[in-house]
Amino acid sequence: MRLLLLVVAVLVLVPGAWASEGSPTLSELEGEVMCPVCGTTLDQSNAPAAMQIKRVIADRIAAGDSKSEIKDRLVTEYGEAILAAPRRKGFGLLAWWVPLAGIVGAAIIVGAGAWRWSRGREREPDGPRLDPALERRLDDELARWE
Amino acid sequence: MARSARLTAQAFALAVVVGLLALLIWRVVHDSDKGVSQALADGEQPTAPIFDLKRLDGNGRIDLSTLRGKKPIVIDFWASWCIPCIHESKRLEAARKKYGDRVEFIGVDTKDFSGDARRWQRKHGIGYPSVHDGSGSVLTKWGGLPLPKIFFVDRSGRVIGELEAEEDLPRYLQQIAGS
Repeated sequence: MRLLLLVVAVLVLVPGAWASEGSPTLSELEGEVMCPVCGTTLDQSNAPAAMQIKRVIADRIAAGDSKSEIKDRLVTEYGEAILAAPRRKGFGLLAWWVPLAGIVGAAIIVGAGAWRWSRGREREPDGPRLDPALERRLDDELARWE
Repeated sequence: MARSARLTAQAFALAVVVGLLALLIWRVVHDSDKGVSQALADGEQPTAPIFDLKRLDGNGRIDLSTLRGKKPIVIDFWASWCIPCIHESKRLEAARKKYGDRVEFIGVDTKDFSGDARRWQRKHGIGYPSVHDGSGSVLTKWGGLPLPKIFFVDRSGRVIGELEAEEDLPRYLQQIAGS
């Protein structure tokens, strides 16, 4: 079942990502690129600096550039901070993998702690055992009440 | 064994906490560096923060530290999308014709496309050299937005003023030209 869901997700998402990479739209890139003077993405700004970048993006889309090519061009001009999210390559990968590694590490630590705690509970002594004669007598008493 | 593992884990956790604390302190200290504009407003005359950036015209780089002690400098932060920059850069270009032999004029095109910036210079007849500070990191050290920002640096490398009013230009130019 999980495998089926994974296959469906790959079939649905990957072609979309490829299409977006090959033929990006202005509105899509406006949400992924920052306005260098306003601290928001381009789609939330009409500042002259933002309008200039929107025009350049539109020109590059018309020239047939892919999304990566357009982003590379913007990074060359403005530095990495022009992107709303770090790229999934090079040093930018750290921003994606470190939180994930942190979550996995924390899950392992919590899991190991829970496992040790549960084992510790299993090994706890059951308390002093009853004298066999007393235990027999108790069983007899209980049997009379049933 | 379990004890040593626990001690190692505790030492690791402590190291992580100390590291994060050090990062926080570094960040706070780093942020407290006020820009040149703020220092001037506080009555100081700070040393000009140096930069070494590519020239817009492609003829190498300009390293501000190599000019220190040689010539006074006017530094003009501008961008092609900045409308008021047109007027101020044209005034500087006119002043360069008078003071160009005694004062160096340098433009810093910031947060801008270099192609648009070159076209803008040609269109408005700006002849003094400019460097490209696309990320705006140099602008931040000098005080950040808004543009234009024009500073006057004397021969010794101290920033003596920032242009705030029309009459500041001839006053500061005479002052640094005589330094």
